[in-house]
Amino acid sequence: MEVIHQLFEIFPYAVLGSIIAGFICAFLGVFVVSQRAVFLGASLTQASVAGVAFSFLHLINLEGYLAKIFNVDIEHNTFFHNFEPAFFSLAFAIICVLIFSQTYRQKYLTQDGVLGTMFVIAIALRIIFIQKSPVAEVSEIESILKGDILFIGATQFYTLLAITIITFLVFLIFQKQLKFVTFDPDTAMAHGINSRFWLLIFYLFVGMGISLTTRFVGDVFAFAYLIIPSSIGILLGKKISQVFFISALVGSVVPPISIYFAFILDFSSGPTAVALVFIVFLITYLAKKIFT
Amino acid sequence: MNSELIKFSDVTIGYGKKPIIEGISFSINENDFLGIVGPNGSGKTTLLKTLLGNLKPIKGDIVKDKIQFGYVPQRDVVQPLLPYSVYDVVMMGRYSLMGILGKPQKYDVDIVNECLKHVGIEELRNQSYNSLSGGQRQRTLIARALAVQPQILILDEPTNGMDTPSHYSLLDLITQLHDESKLTVIIVSHLLTDVANIINRLMLLEKNHFQVGNIEEILSEDNLKKTYSSDFTVAKINNEYLISSRRKN
Repeated sequence: MEVIHQLFEIFPYAVLGSIIAGFICAFLGVFVVSQRAVFLGASLTQASVAGVAFSFLHLINLEGYLAKIFNVDIEHNTFFHNFEPAFFSLAFAIICVLIFSQTYRQKYLTQDGVLGTMFVIAIALRIIFIQKSPVAEVSEIESILKGDILFIGATQFYTLLAITIITFLVFLIFQKQLKFVTFDPDTAMAHGINSRFWLLIFYLFVGMGISLTTRFVGDVFAFAYLIIPSSIGILLGKKISQVFFISALVGSVVPPISIYFAFILDFSSGPTAVALVFIVFLITYLAKKIFT
Repeated sequence: MNSELIKFSDVTIGYGKKPIIEGISFSINENDFLGIVGPNGSGKTTLLKTLLGNLKPIKGDIVKDKIQFGYVPQRDVVQPLLPYSVYDVVMMGRYSLMGILGKPQKYDVDIVNECLKHVGIEELRNQSYNSLSGGQRQRTLIARALAVQPQILILDEPTNGMDTPSHYSLLDLITQLHDESKLTVIIVSHLLTDVANIINRLMLLEKNHFQVGNIEEILSEDNLKKTYSSDFTVAKINNEYLISSRRKN
């Protein structure tokens, strides 16, 4: 109990943020995994990291412009101080999504081919951007790029919370359209629902969720929580509501438990969260194999 | 003479600027039962996508005033990973009619139940779509297409990969939908024997060439040779077409 008390005292936003980050990834992951577009998650996390690396080049002084417009002192404003990496992470992910959305019903390009290309290009760009960055050591930037659950502060937490609420509301309000186009886009189109538009909306929210989670908690955590909790949900859920419930439950419960273990065992929090959710997946899979 | 629902005038179809078939002119009339048949890669799916409005024609005019299509895709294009219930899947057919923010009303539920009954799967209502057999899945997709209350029902390779009893029972259902419910039906298949005995109009497609008309006019050994580049024997016994490949000796 003392450790939990200590954790909440030292890292209150990290604990709460890990719940939100796990939840949003697991929720979006149900759609991504069922669309068999898992590689999209990998490409988006890498594009987000490349976006953050780009911000370190300081080619565009966005923070300066914004500070001027809103008349604020960047040094004493955490939101503006952290704006550029999050903005470019999001921008790169959205570019990735826009390119991917053009592959819908493409005759000459496969989705896998496009995603694979974006994946390696993002990694290559990240390396180039870091090498050309004037601000710090390569290893130092690499560690910043990777994000860390324990670095989640109030700004990151509220940004994640806002994105989660907006995403959840959009998926709730437009569930008819999003359900139909992710299940069977051709028929949805034939029945008068603009699949191209709704798939773009879907992928934009996936891009937004993944890029911000990647920025705040790291690419390994974001990618793992996009796939593993939803795979557990699909394994166990007999109804669509159960799939979402189980995925969201696993996505939001395992990360704070991982922080606890990481804290007492002196492990890195992100990889511990990934290892723990994989153990949950393994137990679920074996139990399903044995008992059904 | 039944009224004209769709008219193609000198239409070229294809992807981008690359034409697959040029100069397509034909009409689809009310209560037609049209079979679109041709070898793999002949442009059947491209024609279907153009007909549905999912693909723009490269050239020519297609006149179709506010036609409501009920579309039954090939089963393997539907993602079956999430456990949507049969009811959920059929209700999707009502979505486009509810408005952007609308929720299913009692009226929609009644129509869905009626469609499930119509195709004989009302007892599967709460079962998960991904746990069904091929034939049951196809019936679910047909029920969903009927839930749109369509003027034209379009089926893309509906009997693909089915066992023999499901195969014939599905063809019976499609015939019944045409004959008893007076639906205009378009069925796409690469199996000519599948459709020849149920349709009244036939379109034979091959790359850059097509023929369309009443089945009696179109289903000839000469036309089949042009389409498939091999010899066939066509015979009519007890009002049933028998089509077989002629062996080369």
